[in-house]
Amino acid sequence: MGLARYVVLRVVWAAVVSLVIVTATFVLMAAAPNPAIQEAATQAALEGGDPQQAVERERELRGLDEPLHVRYLDFLTSIYTLEWGWSDHRSQPVTEALVEGLYYTAQYSIPWTVLTVLIGPLVGVYSAANMYSWRDHAATAFAFFGYAIPNFFFGIVLLLLFGVWLDWIPVVYRTDVAVFSLENARQLALPVFVLVTGSIGAVMRVSRNESAEFRDATFMKTAKAKGVSPFRAYAYHVMRPTLVPLSTTLVSQLLAIFLGSSLLVEVVFGIPGLGRLTFEALVAQDTNLVLGATFVFTFVAVIGNLLEDIAFSVLDPRISYDDR
Amino acid sequence: MPPERFDRIDWEEHAGSSGFSASINTVAFVLTALSVLALAGYDRLFAAERETVFGALARDVGVGPRFESLGIGADPGALEYLFVITLLLFVWYLLAPLYQNPRMTRYYWDRFTRNRPAVVSLGWLFVVFAGGLLGPLLLSAPQQDVLAGHQPPVYLSIDASNVARCLGETVGGRCHGTWRYPLGTTQAGEGVFRNVVYGMTISMQIAFITTTIVAAIGITFGTVSAYAGGWVDEALMRFVDIVLSFPTLLFFLLILYIYGAGLGMFILVFSLFAWGGTARYVRSKALSIAEEEYVDAARISGASTYRVVRRHVVPNTASSIITQLTLLVPGFLLAEAQLAFLGLGDSGINSWGQLISAGRSDLAFAPWIVLAPGIVLFLTILAFNFLGDALLDALNPKTEAERGR
Amino acid sequence: MRRRSKIGYGAGTRVDRRQWLSMLGAVGAAGLAGCSGDDGGSPETPDNGGGVRGLDGIEERPTVSGTYDTVTSASFTTLNPLYNTESGAGTAIGRALDQGYTFDADDEYVPLLYDMSTDDGEVWVFDVREGLTFSDPYGAVDAESFVYQIEELHQSDWALTANATDWTGVNVERTGKRQFQAELPEPQLLWPESFDPLEYPIPKGVLEPYVDDENVEGLRQDEELLELRFSGNLGAFVLDEWDRGAGTTYTRNDEYYIQDADNWSDLFSNAPYFEGASISVVEEQASRLGALETGEADSASVPPERFEEFDNDPDVSMLQIPQPFNRILSVNMRDNGWNAGPGNLFRYVAFRQAIATAIGTDDLIEGVYRGLAEPHHTWQPAWSRWYPGDDEVPFFGTGDRYGAGPARELATTAFDRSAFDYGFDGDRMVTPEGDQVTLDVYHSAGQETAQLIAEYAAQELDDNLGIELDVQAIDGVRFNNEFWTATPEGGTDTVAGESVRWDAPTPNNPGPRSVTSNEEWDMSLVFGLNTYPRNPLTNAAFFDGANARYNPVGYYPEFDAGGLFERARTAATEEELAAAFADVFVELAREQPYVMLAFGDSLTGYNPDLRGPIEDFANGWNAPGWHFAE
Repeated sequence: MGLARYVVLRVVWAAVVSLVIVTATFVLMAAAPNPAIQEAATQAALEGGDPQQAVERERELRGLDEPLHVRYLDFLTSIYTLEWGWSDHRSQPVTEALVEGLYYTAQYSIPWTVLTVLIGPLVGVYSAANMYSWRDHAATAFAFFGYAIPNFFFGIVLLLLFGVWLDWIPVVYRTDVAVFSLENARQLALPVFVLVTGSIGAVMRVSRNESAEFRDATFMKTAKAKGVSPFRAYAYHVMRPTLVPLSTTLVSQLLAIFLGSSLLVEVVFGIPGLGRLTFEALVAQDTNLVLGATFVFTFVAVIGNLLEDIAFSVLDPRISYDDR
Repeated sequence: MPPERFDRIDWEEHAGSSGFSASINTVAFVLTALSVLALAGYDRLFAAERETVFGALARDVGVGPRFESLGIGADPGALEYLFVITLLLFVWYLLAPLYQNPRMTRYYWDRFTRNRPAVVSLGWLFVVFAGGLLGPLLLSAPQQDVLAGHQPPVYLSIDASNVARCLGETVGGRCHGTWRYPLGTTQAGEGVFRNVVYGMTISMQIAFITTTIVAAIGITFGTVSAYAGGWVDEALMRFVDIVLSFPTLLFFLLILYIYGAGLGMFILVFSLFAWGGTARYVRSKALSIAEEEYVDAARISGASTYRVVRRHVVPNTASSIITQLTLLVPGFLLAEAQLAFLGLGDSGINSWGQLISAGRSDLAFAPWIVLAPGIVLFLTILAFNFLGDALLDALNPKTEAERGR
Repeated sequence: MRRRSKIGYGAGTRVDRRQWLSMLGAVGAAGLAGCSGDDGGSPETPDNGGGVRGLDGIEERPTVSGTYDTVTSASFTTLNPLYNTESGAGTAIGRALDQGYTFDADDEYVPLLYDMSTDDGEVWVFDVREGLTFSDPYGAVDAESFVYQIEELHQSDWALTANATDWTGVNVERTGKRQFQAELPEPQLLWPESFDPLEYPIPKGVLEPYVDDENVEGLRQDEELLELRFSGNLGAFVLDEWDRGAGTTYTRNDEYYIQDADNWSDLFSNAPYFEGASISVVEEQASRLGALETGEADSASVPPERFEEFDNDPDVSMLQIPQPFNRILSVNMRDNGWNAGPGNLFRYVAFRQAIATAIGTDDLIEGVYRGLAEPHHTWQPAWSRWYPGDDEVPFFGTGDRYGAGPARELATTAFDRSAFDYGFDGDRMVTPEGDQVTLDVYHSAGQETAQLIAEYAAQELDDNLGIELDVQAIDGVRFNNEFWTATPEGGTDTVAGESVRWDAPTPNNPGPRSVTSNEEWDMSLVFGLNTYPRNPLTNAAFFDGANARYNPVGYYPEFDAGGLFERARTAATEEELAAAFADVFVELAREQPYVMLAFGDSLTGYNPDLRGPIEDFANGWNAPGWHFAE
């Protein structure tokens, strides 16, 4: 079995995983009481109508009178044809709502991811190379600080400091500024800083500890003995093996923060992104939007894990995909 | 003679038994855990609803109110019983072996104490641990007093216009703090200090119970998967895929919405969805180790699968597991705080997250409500990290050798 | 260990509002609604020749400058005027689309889109203002713009619009191009004050296709309606964009009809006086207050503990605006209430009085509201003209009627009346089995004040009555669906010796006490209600008998409530009306159908340069004249 075949199988599997998760979500939502029906009954009764009849009508309208498996199949069809319905909570189509949310989430997620992926491993390996120097201690201190400080807490404190007391950055997030403008950079600086601080710690630690192991490996000594430049030696002999275990940390760390902390950061900084949208949809029991958002998050998580797995196989030639 | 490695010790040998029979630690653990379970069962079956279990026990046994005089008036719930059992696990499988092997313990302790931040961290965690265990016995739970809201910590002051009634002195339009509330009060007039102490109990419960569950599941899945290989590996790893891909927070929110959820459900859901990373990590480490020559050698010399896993794979992945778990505990503490911040936490408990959430609107004029628990949370997470790091160094002779050079 | 769960950050506020407004029947009127009273006669066009309160002393016509930016905590669910039930979204719609009328600071009816007049309170004539136009291609606003939606939507059985209940049994008829009339089933002199006849203009052209197909989904989702694209010259601003998560932005409407309206003074001849406006959704309170402090927002609401601080801040001008919305502790008198033991003690007036006596309102107002609230002794704020006077109303929870002694005495009276052997064991209240009395109290999740009050009540009841309260946070929507409302069943019960039939049960009064919601509950702080100081007759919906329209708690009045409200309804003079209301409110204060706690003031901070805001419930009625000082 070659790499290509492995990748194909892995992609197919990712699709299966997404199906499992969407199904689990469907089951959970089907078990939840549906407020729309209650509302219809309330309305009908207020008008002196027959509540029972109104409930039937509402159920019919929403297709809830169908047997469960028919509803499930309809549901799957609409999910995979991107017909995600109407969001009652936002009064717009679900896909439109998600795209809007994604637009704002991407504006801070992309810089944050890029910065983490670039800075984290570099600083980690640098730390390992200069282990126990003051630089290492400084980097370690920063890593620990970033990892230990709760993102939302840090965010509020910074917002209070720079937004309210020093008045350097706007307190209210404005959606009417251009994406590539100074205003946007200013209002996104803090969220990005907070998130990078939060995600970079673990990445730095893992890359430092892992590369410390390879630093003393025989192949490094050989490389040094052969007169390979330290930069080249690190790039080839430390960076690469470090990336293998690191890829797990990196992807899971980014995903965890994307799915968890980004929501809090969006709430703190008032960014109307995907996380806040999902949260509000859940609270409002906007079933369509909750499902849509779940699917987007699942999609991101599945793709992330897929890329991680592929990277894992490519980076570590010792683990042969033939065995799997 | 080279010092024995903590994780390379043949426990069976040291515990004076071999093969399948249980070690003395296991016996001790089972006995103590059973007595806790018996107490829990007694609580469930015999203690009246409005009666504490110790009160009921005292009545039935006829010792009068002696437990109360000892300060044991608590009425534990399922979570507390579980917490005690994980504590026993910790005592019998981590502390007892250290005690049983004083020479080895001293060796590691010497190495460990060279790392000063780690010693400080251990001290801090001990404070949190002791505070969490003893605090609720010594201090009564924080009480609301709306007229005493927003009192400043002792030695600090607040604009008198922000408090309903100043308990300390008002000098020049500023209200000063009193020793009655050393860390000030919340909007509801609850003492921040007491809240922080009670939060230690919650944090310790989260830390111990979740890590136990995650470590158990993760290590089992990881090692079994790596060693078994073939379709077992495939199936297990595919399962891990699903677990990993599931957006835990979203799933938890769904459960919370439909069924409601307290701290117990939080611990259960988060630990049941958090072991995927550990399993993968353990597996990847174990895979590398399994390709090492000595494992091949062991196999060729006829070692059973169980023996290879137990003697070679688990001990050799220990350092990675500890790093992983070190990174996990703070993750759970953070998750709890985050949910509490969103207003989704268990409002019936006095966790640090709840306190941060309660004070976040008042940050501008009463920052201690957020800062006190925020800093304690920050320090605890920091301590877990330093400690994990130090353990890693202590268990990794290569790093140590490097340092000695 | 006790477990409590909660969900719904900030959702509670919205539902509170929705509940109030469902009783108001009008949407988003809160910001525009005026305060107390009316002379009971025909509303007249007020004389605006003199100064306009809040804008008095403004001699010259203001210049147009700046943008009016506000912040709010909750995002809008819909801006479709037909379906909106939230006050926040009502404000957002109101920036771009006026409703029929408003009340000024002197409580006088002020026509916006139509004038209403009546001789006997039974037939009301609506005269639609001249010169109102929708955007192209919908043409002029005429009688049909209102009659069509009332007849084809509000009075239909399929459209389920927000205003549907307001028009039940009303016979609407077009009598001219810009005139129509409404015939009420029974005369109502204070009809406009109930906000029932308050409507938005909607072009017939937008509605017709949906009416033909009875397509409710289409109507809800219509973009013309959601984006208010038809608003023409009907609002002060034109809606530019509704960014679902972030709020709304507007630009000035140069054509605003009020500029030429003859009953509005010269002050408004170039209204509005802002280049544009915006409403930003900012969930974090600290950020909203920060925005107010830094001047990014021109208006934001401020919590009580920050009031004085902001009041002292030269960059913010604070207004303390009294409200008719109350904070009540609802006690469930239905069969699924009082889950501490047998026999529901809440059903005894003496026991409800005992609870009111046990909860100290002075400390509540000082500690929780920092003094920025009015005491709530009867179903009317003290500033209402219908308030009977301090001498007449019995006060609970203050003075002699506060504390453990009087509370226990009242509770003992209730125990004596109960068939079950409740009593005190030491200072604890115990059931006939000798167990501690423990009850649940619910409050909206995410609302700090609500939680604080719940915990305060828990402590007071513990100290003064020996009742243990389990405080639970709950999402307002869930509480409404599962606890507060039930499927209407109807039935009969004996109330004060007479057999009463529930002929028209509603979800909010589904039947006698035997008809209950899905979930059991004891006490709740989730919903507050409107006390209708402008038209207290509307309170008949709560109290005019056991089968009132809105009675989720299962309250059976022990006085002749129906008779007293009828006396008020048929009063010929203002004195008669006042006397009837005085009797009602004295009785309600005595019976405590809901345990009344306080009226929290609305505390709003404004940009100090802003001219117009006033410390009155009518604040905002003259918003088109608001402007920044030079």
